[in-house]
Amino acid sequence: MADENSTPHKRGPLKSSVGSAAVQRRRDHAVTVRKERREALMRTKRLCRVGVSSDDADVPVDADMATDEEQSVLEDQTVKSMEELNLAIAYQGKGAMQKRVNALRELRRLLSKSEYPPVEAALKAGAMPTLVQCLSFGSPDEQLLETAWCLTNIAAGKPEETKALLPALPLLIAHMGEKSSLPVAEQCAWALGNVAGEGEELRDVLLSQGALQPLARMMLPNKGSTVRTAAWALSNLIKGHAKAATELIRIDGVLDAILRHLKRGDEELATEVAWVVVYLTALSNVATSMLAKSDLLQILVDRLASSNSLELLIPVLRSLGNLVAGDSYVTDNVLVAGNEVTVRVIQVMIKCLSSEHRVLKKESAWALSNVAAGSVEHKKLIHSSGAVSILIRLLSTSPFDIRKEVAYVLGNLCVAPSESGRPVLIVDHLVSLVGGGCLSGFADLVRSADIEAARLGLQFLELVLRGMPNGEGPKLVEAEDGIEAMERFQFHENEELRSMANQLVDKYFGEDYGLDA
Amino acid sequence: MAMEVTQILLSAQSVDSTVRKHAEENLKQFQEQNLPVFLLSLSVELANEEKPADSRKLAGLVLKNALDAKEQHRKYELVQRWLSLDVSVKGQIKACLLQTLSSTASDARSTASQVIAKVAGIELPQKQWPELVGSLLSNVHQVPPHVKQATIETLGYLCEEVAPEAIDQDQVNKILTAVVQGMNANEANIEVRLASTRALYNAIGFAQANFSNDMERDYIMRVVCEATLSPEVKIRQAAYECLVSIGSTYYEKLAPYIQDIFNITSKAVRDDEEPVALQAIEFWSSICDEEIDILDDYGGDFTADSDVPCYYFIKQALSALVPLLLETLLKQEEDQDQDEGAWNLAMAGGTCLGLVARTVGDDIVPLVMPFIEENITKGDWRQREAATYAFGSILEGPSPDKLIPIVNVALGFMLTALTKDPSSHVKDTTAWTLGRIFEFLHGSTLATPIITPANCQQIITVLLQSMKDAPNVAEKACGALYFLAQGYEDVGPTSPLTPYFQEIVQSLLNATHREDAGESRLRTAAYETLNEVVRSSTEETARLVVELVQVIMTELHKTLEAQKLSSDEREKQTELQGLLCGCLQVIIQKLGASDPTKYALLQYSDQIINLLLRVFACRNATVHEEAMLSIGALAYATGPNFAKYMPDFYKYLEMGLQNFEEYQVCAVTVGVVGDICRALEDKVLAYCDGIMTQLLKDLSSNQLHRSVKPPIFSCFGDIALAIGENFEKYLMYAMPMLQSAAELSAHTSSADDEMIEYTNSLRNGILEAYSGIFQGFKNSPKTQLLIPYAPHILQFLDSIYIEKDMDDIVTKTAIGVLGDLADTLGSNAASLIQASVSSKDFLNECLSSDDHLIKEAAEWARLAISRAISV
Repeated sequence: MADENSTPHKRGPLKSSVGSAAVQRRRDHAVTVRKERREALMRTKRLCRVGVSSDDADVPVDADMATDEEQSVLEDQTVKSMEELNLAIAYQGKGAMQKRVNALRELRRLLSKSEYPPVEAALKAGAMPTLVQCLSFGSPDEQLLETAWCLTNIAAGKPEETKALLPALPLLIAHMGEKSSLPVAEQCAWALGNVAGEGEELRDVLLSQGALQPLARMMLPNKGSTVRTAAWALSNLIKGHAKAATELIRIDGVLDAILRHLKRGDEELATEVAWVVVYLTALSNVATSMLAKSDLLQILVDRLASSNSLELLIPVLRSLGNLVAGDSYVTDNVLVAGNEVTVRVIQVMIKCLSSEHRVLKKESAWALSNVAAGSVEHKKLIHSSGAVSILIRLLSTSPFDIRKEVAYVLGNLCVAPSESGRPVLIVDHLVSLVGGGCLSGFADLVRSADIEAARLGLQFLELVLRGMPNGEGPKLVEAEDGIEAMERFQFHENEELRSMANQLVDKYFGEDYGLDA
Repeated sequence: MAMEVTQILLSAQSVDSTVRKHAEENLKQFQEQNLPVFLLSLSVELANEEKPADSRKLAGLVLKNALDAKEQHRKYELVQRWLSLDVSVKGQIKACLLQTLSSTASDARSTASQVIAKVAGIELPQKQWPELVGSLLSNVHQVPPHVKQATIETLGYLCEEVAPEAIDQDQVNKILTAVVQGMNANEANIEVRLASTRALYNAIGFAQANFSNDMERDYIMRVVCEATLSPEVKIRQAAYECLVSIGSTYYEKLAPYIQDIFNITSKAVRDDEEPVALQAIEFWSSICDEEIDILDDYGGDFTADSDVPCYYFIKQALSALVPLLLETLLKQEEDQDQDEGAWNLAMAGGTCLGLVARTVGDDIVPLVMPFIEENITKGDWRQREAATYAFGSILEGPSPDKLIPIVNVALGFMLTALTKDPSSHVKDTTAWTLGRIFEFLHGSTLATPIITPANCQQIITVLLQSMKDAPNVAEKACGALYFLAQGYEDVGPTSPLTPYFQEIVQSLLNATHREDAGESRLRTAAYETLNEVVRSSTEETARLVVELVQVIMTELHKTLEAQKLSSDEREKQTELQGLLCGCLQVIIQKLGASDPTKYALLQYSDQIINLLLRVFACRNATVHEEAMLSIGALAYATGPNFAKYMPDFYKYLEMGLQNFEEYQVCAVTVGVVGDICRALEDKVLAYCDGIMTQLLKDLSSNQLHRSVKPPIFSCFGDIALAIGENFEKYLMYAMPMLQSAAELSAHTSSADDEMIEYTNSLRNGILEAYSGIFQGFKNSPKTQLLIPYAPHILQFLDSIYIEKDMDDIVTKTAIGVLGDLADTLGSNAASLIQASVSSKDFLNECLSSDDHLIKEAAEWARLAISRAISV
């Protein structure tokens, strides 16, 4: 029935009492709790399999077998092996050492098995205090190795499992000293790398306990696998930590070791070392400037030119980009026009831009945009290279984030810095890029919701409107629906963009526009 | 063949209840015995100008009720009955109805309008009665204004009843033209203009095409804006209602009109009568709603090419809109704080101001601060209250960086006002504002705390003091404390509230005992605040929470003492029991969460259960939802020991499951069945026959509210997990139900968000049932019983995958089911699994998902599948 005085839009008042919302919230909470419990139960049931024979315990470890190992059996075995280990530690008689090592080996074997290693079961059974005890100074290498290996596997678990390693950290670091055997030191580095990978909090703990020095020292010799593990652990350790990065590069011999391994190491080793370089150049100005003055750039370019391993190319390319962006020494003194290395940098960029992998495309466009921001000579060099046609194609066909980086490169090619502050137009670059068909790509950017991209697009339209010879600009822009794209900003919240777009429309498409056409 | 019904209809309105009941009985019998004649007789009565106005009107209403009902299944029945009537009878009835539109009796006309719309609502979607719109439109050109008025009213109701798709665009155009013409200033008759304006309100949703056409849109907008200036207040109000609806339906078309709309709405807010001014404010509130939604969509993804762009109308109007709204805040009513349903200019203005703050964020702050500073110390309470309300309104939206410095300055002032201001209005709003401060600017996510060791004690002292103030003020003080406690929920092992815990609890309990705690919902607020204080408390006060168990039990015991209650008293008793059970539920959850406190709790479990059973016994037809929830919490805490309570509790469980009329009771009980299954595991077996019978009965009832279905399916899974292969005997009943529900839910036929959400929750329930059944049967010799169901289940997974409209929760559950099927059936299902799309594309998609829960489930499924196919 229609009520004569109905007010169909009455909404709840802002000032309301707390009661009803609180009751609802409490009930919703009960439902959430129930869902969590249902899920927890389901997870347990899924992991639980019974009725599988357990007498295959002596079968040699095999990856496929491991996945088939049944979880509950595995957990039972883990608990049992912890009991054995404790018995072995308590045992003082003949062959005590061998008993301990055997028990540790069994535990390590269990913890290496299956996609779901029984870490939780081991920790519940009191693994941590026992393992710390097994790391005591003066323990035989074999025992240390097996213990560190167990800890490595535990550290690879869930975050709270990784944290359980806290009491073991000082001893793991201590066993990386010069007197330790290499296999023990490497295994300790591996465990610590897992711990450092867990997060900032644990990284801080490791740094404060002095993990950096011994790991850095392990980088120095030419022992492939040890260096690789140390490099991997170091890159985890200095992630996000500028001070640690600076400290690392200042350690005697580290810079040389990095360059040496990067130049001569196999691809796997070079990959891990390159990641260290990525963090050094991203985090520390000191490191960047030291590396800039070395022949790192040359080495990176060689790697980029010769390798096809995506794992290696990504960190190498990012290091190169960091280097170019981070230190003007490189652009001013190394990457000068006429130097052979400059030509080669552009060649490897072209290689990466033409790659199938979006990460490579994006990283190389970013690195190239930093080169393109340099002197007029740099711009000429890029402009006359094969990069331009690839960039124009990427501007219209690639995913959004790559398009943005590409737009920076192309935009930078058309303007040069000047003393007046207002950039000077490089007309012949502009004409050839527009001729190459880049305008529609920029007009698309103008339509983007991303402010930065839209600004890039507008700036380029401005160049075209102002700079194309014979006043051709407005017609070209109009042909790409540029007017419509700019009119979208009429009510845009960003004032800068709004006024920029409005001024362009007023100036170039005002009342007189089209009269002479 | 129509029968004379005048006398019965008049008797049905008699003051004598015996006469009335007898007549109602007669009508009902008549309807059941001969529906066609019954309906026809009513329509003839309605059309007959000689009959009394009262009997005609009632005839129309009874007719209307025979065509529509609120309850879905009843409505469906009525529609089917009408459709199956003889065509000639329906024709006669419709003729009578149309004829009545020309009646001189306005009640008869209006009733006929509504009945015609109901018939149209049934017939037009079936492509019946095609000539209706045409004949109504020809009426519009009739000279007598009352005919025109009734016709337009009918068109309006018709638009309300019928979906836009059921009417051709051509006819829509004609309807809109007629309605807009009727609103035009050229239309001399006021009633026609009013009916037209109201009709347009219902027709807005039909005008999609017309609003995309500049000229037509301009015309409609001009007419609506003109109508907002009509001398008739009802027309102005109806015109603003149209504007509000246009604002939210066609936001993206508003830009050319927004300046004019701002001008007329601001004049209306300042000068017009309240009902009109309220609608004018509502226009801006609904624009805020739109922009908040759009900006929300923007926020998620920076490349989002949202369908509707944001025009930032609020931002553009800000400097004029805010002063306008601030003025309204000074127009408070004296007793608005005591009246729960109050809605006036000040309240609407403040609500709108709050929405504006959420829309524009920081920009609002400098526009509101001068108003606050100017008014907060004035002698007139209205000015102080308005200033405080303005401050409270803008606390959600602007950034903490912007607000915290202001709050730090204001906090001391507010605490003084809450203790000393002579006006209870000001205190009420001050306490509410403190609550908003704690809600939005206090908590572990904020870098700079506004509550510090230096002011914490003062804040708590003032709030506890205010709990002795007038009920409305005390209620707001509870609210403030509620959010204060909530902000400390993740505080860690030591809470700043610990030193005050005992005092806070005592003050809240005192508040619940006040004589006047029933006013302003004070008692509810006090208990819910107590719950929040308990929930966010730490280990340090665990002992005090244990003591609270006894206190609450004593309170609950008291409610059971009362004898021979009136129905009013009984309602109050039920409400109080609800609050106390809610409190027990929270305490049980809190203490049950860690082992030492759990043992302290469990010493009371017998007593708690006894009390809860007595609460259940207070009612005979239904069970108490809150008591049921407490049972669920207690079952977790007691675990398998809950078995000893089952013999006494079971009958209430069954009663709850039977109560599908009150669907929330039913849903809560279904959830508790799951809790009990997890607590008792296989000990629940003894009760499963009864529970399953009841659940299956619920599912087969067409009266069951649809929202209860998903939890019932999940509950199948809970039961199967608990009793394992013993679920065997229910398979033959449960599986076909799951299968047919799965078929229905495989495709979402509509683009309606709500429907998609429901379909997904239904899918999730079905999938949880499958998972529970598979995992329940795992490792038993009876797994082969499930093999016949596997093809259908895989097909279901494939079809929802192909449909591409699953949400993340369903995706996770679905990929889990794939693993469960492989895990339980093993090599028996290897070839089926390998043939399914799910085991390849779907699984791969899930393996590379960003959602780690989906990924985890998928990795498990991959493992299970590789085992199943490798053997």
